[in-house]
Amino acid sequence: MQTIENRNIAAAILTLLFLIFLPGISTAESLDDRVNEVAHLLMCPVCQGQSVAESNSNLAQDMRQIIRKQLEEGKSKEEVIAYFVNRYGETILASPPPRGVNWLLWVLPGLAIVFGGLGIGIYLYKSQSGRSSGDSGKRAEKTAADSDYMLKIDEELKKRES
Amino acid sequence: MSILNTGTKLGVLVIIFLVLALLGYALFGDRETVKTSPLVGKDAPEFTLKLFDGKRVSLSEMKGKTVLLNFWASWCMPCRLEAPALEQSWLKYKDKNVVFIGVNVWDENSSASSYIEKFGGGYPQGIDPEEEIQVDYGIGGVPETYFIGPSGIITDKYNGPLTEEIIDYYVNRAAAPEGESPSTN
Repeated sequence: MQTIENRNIAAAILTLLFLIFLPGISTAESLDDRVNEVAHLLMCPVCQGQSVAESNSNLAQDMRQIIRKQLEEGKSKEEVIAYFVNRYGETILASPPPRGVNWLLWVLPGLAIVFGGLGIGIYLYKSQSGRSSGDSGKRAEKTAADSDYMLKIDEELKKRES
Repeated sequence: MSILNTGTKLGVLVIIFLVLALLGYALFGDRETVKTSPLVGKDAPEFTLKLFDGKRVSLSEMKGKTVLLNFWASWCMPCRLEAPALEQSWLKYKDKNVVFIGVNVWDENSSASSYIEKFGGGYPQGIDPEEEIQVDYGIGGVPETYFIGPSGIITDKYNGPLTEEIIDYYVNRAAAPEGESPSTN
């Protein structure tokens, strides 16, 4: 009986501790996720094609530390990004905003797919119709040759009969 | 025999031209925009440095003076190249309302102290204990130098090793009355 009571008390204490520490654990995780999310949106200024999240350079480490600090201070994701853009320019953004010359970067891939698809379609259509028209031409020639041949045979037969 | 008609060929050529033009622009165009620091023309971010002699210095204390803010590291070879020019220029300007401040970044304290002993630098040199100043100033490498006018506005940023002539040019621009257009190297 005593053992069951002890177990219940222990379970209650564990549940209480879990409930107390759960918000702290989940906040820490969500802050890490948010730091990682912002770090992925920024390119490391001293690296080749690596985001701040991917790079291990000193600068990227400093930047991740500042992202964490600013998020902890309650700044929004957009405010943190604006802080870096104000210092490094828009080239620091992993995805350039679609304005000015940048919109070409967003539009060109779509145009390439549309025009590429159209080009391939036109090519296939023309090559198919070319083959079809070629076939029908040959068939017509063959029919004409056959009819000439048949005419000659008819003429020869008539000559023999007469 | 060609399968594509003239219109299609023209379209393909136009697309190829556009792609090449875009590639050329990305590779060679708008270089100045890439180099320009967005901070030029704005208020210099405030900072407090812990100097190697134990003192502290803040930018706000320099109000009314022209400031040369030089970012360096002991492992940086171009920094060693510019060190004599910085020292000579500091001697030249130290009594002319111009302040030189060295900011050591991404370095070991012992290496930085040895560097200062070897290459001189009588002007204040230190580190940011929070390691934020390098990002606050948009630093991408060393050496990089900011020139700040007496009003606290950044007038220029120079990337690479300085010479006495370069320092003269940018210090005079920073010290000049407002109205002259700022730029970068």
